[in-house]
Amino acid sequence: MDFSKLDSSDMQQFYSQEQQLAMVNEMVSKLTDACWDKCITGTPGNKFSSSESTCLSNCAHRYIEMSLLIMKKFQSLQ
Amino acid sequence: MDLSELNSPEMQKFYSEEQQKAVITETVAKVTSECWDKCITGTPGNKFSSSEASCLSNCAQRFVETNMLIWKRFQSMQ
Repeated sequence: MDFSKLDSSDMQQFYSQEQQLAMVNEMVSKLTDACWDKCITGTPGNKFSSSESTCLSNCAHRYIEMSLLIMKKFQSLQ
Repeated sequence: MDLSELNSPEMQKFYSEEQQKAVITETVAKVTSECWDKCITGTPGNKFSSSEASCLSNCAQRFVETNMLIWKRFQSMQ
């Protein structure tokens, strides 16, 4: 294995893309869990009720909003 | 595979930087998750209520403080 290739800009780009993909996957997974728990409180039906849909949409937005706020807070501590 | 290349200063630097980034990413995710559970107790709305917003802010601070406190305690045990 030639470690000098780790510095190439192709490798950097590949790595960066993979890292972003991983982060997106992680976030989707987390959002699904968190918002399922918060919004689907009764027996799941054969489609989402309108309050469930609204809740899920709000939930996803709020969670991401919160995630960004906390990230900014951490960055300001650097 | 020439494993001696793992000791190169470039590799060490890369590894160290990536490790720091990973710790921060992990902590942000953890804080987000914990504070979501603690503060968003009802149905998520189309924006954070002021009590939710204060809770999230306090929560993030306290979590970071807890983390630092534990690190210090741990270090004083060395």
